[in-house]
Amino acid sequence: MVSEHIIKSYDQELQRLDNIIAEMGGMAESQLAAAIEAVARRDSELAARVVKSDARVDELEREVEGLVVRLLALRQPLARDLRQIVAGLKIASDLERIADYAANVAKRAIALNQTPPVKPVSGIPRMGRLGSGMIKDVLDAFVERDAEKALAVWLRDEEMDDLYTSLFRELLTYMIEDPRNITACTHLLFMAKNLERIGDHATNIAETLYFLVHGTPLAQVRPKRDRTSLALAPNADVSEIDEDQD
Amino acid sequence: MTYEIQPVEIPNRQRPHLIQMPAVETPKPIAEAQEQVQPKVQIKDLRFYYKNYEALKGINLTLHDKRVTAFIGPSGCGKSTLLRVLNRIYELYPDQRATGEVLVDGQDILDPRHDLNLLRARIGMVFQKPTPFPMSIYDNVAFGVRLYERLSPRRLDERVEEALRRAALWDEVKDKLRESGLSLSGGQQQRLCIARAIAVKPEILLLDEPASALDPISTQRIEELIADLKSDYCIVIVTHNMQQAARSSDYTAFMYLGQLIEFNTTETIFTHPHERQTEDYITGRFG
Repeated sequence: MVSEHIIKSYDQELQRLDNIIAEMGGMAESQLAAAIEAVARRDSELAARVVKSDARVDELEREVEGLVVRLLALRQPLARDLRQIVAGLKIASDLERIADYAANVAKRAIALNQTPPVKPVSGIPRMGRLGSGMIKDVLDAFVERDAEKALAVWLRDEEMDDLYTSLFRELLTYMIEDPRNITACTHLLFMAKNLERIGDHATNIAETLYFLVHGTPLAQVRPKRDRTSLALAPNADVSEIDEDQD
Repeated sequence: MTYEIQPVEIPNRQRPHLIQMPAVETPKPIAEAQEQVQPKVQIKDLRFYYKNYEALKGINLTLHDKRVTAFIGPSGCGKSTLLRVLNRIYELYPDQRATGEVLVDGQDILDPRHDLNLLRARIGMVFQKPTPFPMSIYDNVAFGVRLYERLSPRRLDERVEEALRRAALWDEVKDKLRESGLSLSGGQQQRLCIARAIAVKPEILLLDEPASALDPISTQRIEELIADLKSDYCIVIVTHNMQQAARSSDYTAFMYLGQLIEFNTTETIFTHPHERQTEDYITGRFG
């Protein structure tokens, strides 16, 4: 582990930064799990609690921002300390987004409960479990400063993209089969998109963590497997379309 | 009528291989080819002794022309000693000696046959505390020039003005050149010393904590001056102020207990140094 600063209060502030991020991460992870459970169990009460608790994550993000500005202004951090502080700011913003997406899933769970159940709902918990696992692992990696573990999370986003693409197709099929499914399936589609974005933010955190540990950015191209933007109506001419890089 | 979603088939992009980060190598001085820089001073296996105490333990380092190199490290690490070797000022004291080579433009300045006066004209030094001579501002700047060159009064005037302008002091003193150098403020005195050092047209400027006794505004003036002078000189600055080293140098050398621990571009040293000791020092973890 890294040795201590001569100025003890500096260590305490850096530790505080790590602690807030760990707390935000824990909240984001459990809110996502609760949102998914609310979808699976059609539990509107639970969903409402998730929506409400998002405010706390926002509050923590503001606390991180304040602390980071203070550290930059008063400590003139360098090297690893500087990377930790910059990484802290970025990770907090990713976690805040993740919690937002979880809250959005919960909101849609409430709306979804107003409609009759549709079969493709089962795809959501799978994506949700994967998302929760990615958040948990990337946070463990953050606490342990383990860049290899972060890389493993980074590569798992491919699986998330695959799940999203297949759920997208499934939902489209349901909507085409019976227009009465459209309301429910549209909510599910947005949920799936939210979960897919959560995977992207988890990979952002993994990249930030890699930078924090090694001091150099991750020099790889992330595999993108979300192909939904390329799904077309039958017989369309696709020869002109390149794979989306966004 | 039934529809089927037609997924667009795109060949799988190859899964990227995990890049194994190479083990961190002990950094070598930046390859000259990387930038358009000329080596000005090459220090080879330099050892320095105060009586029997070895204060520098085999330093190897290249200083580049038209670049600023900062020496950082805790007190007693040898950075000021290294500076003192570069202009052989240590020879004023008995029982102090240096071994190894210090090549300036390929010539070993440690060679006793090397003309000391010529060396001092080539290498100017500015100390931590401003050291104006107890004479007029004009004479302070002209002093060294008179030692080394015979200039007509008009040429000497020009040289003094040029040096004072270069040191960003001219506008403040042009109307009182005959007043004592000691009448100036600390920051002005330090710029006067820099003017005195550059008046003899040296090739290398050694600055030993030039701003440590100055207020922030004067410090920034000195740093701005360093940035300006860089286009003409090989500059070495010793500083305890990490931010100053980060702001004003191109290369940074971290020394500890008489050894050069790490030498690299300043950006690398202050963002991701390779040596644990360097990182501990610059982040304030040095026990």
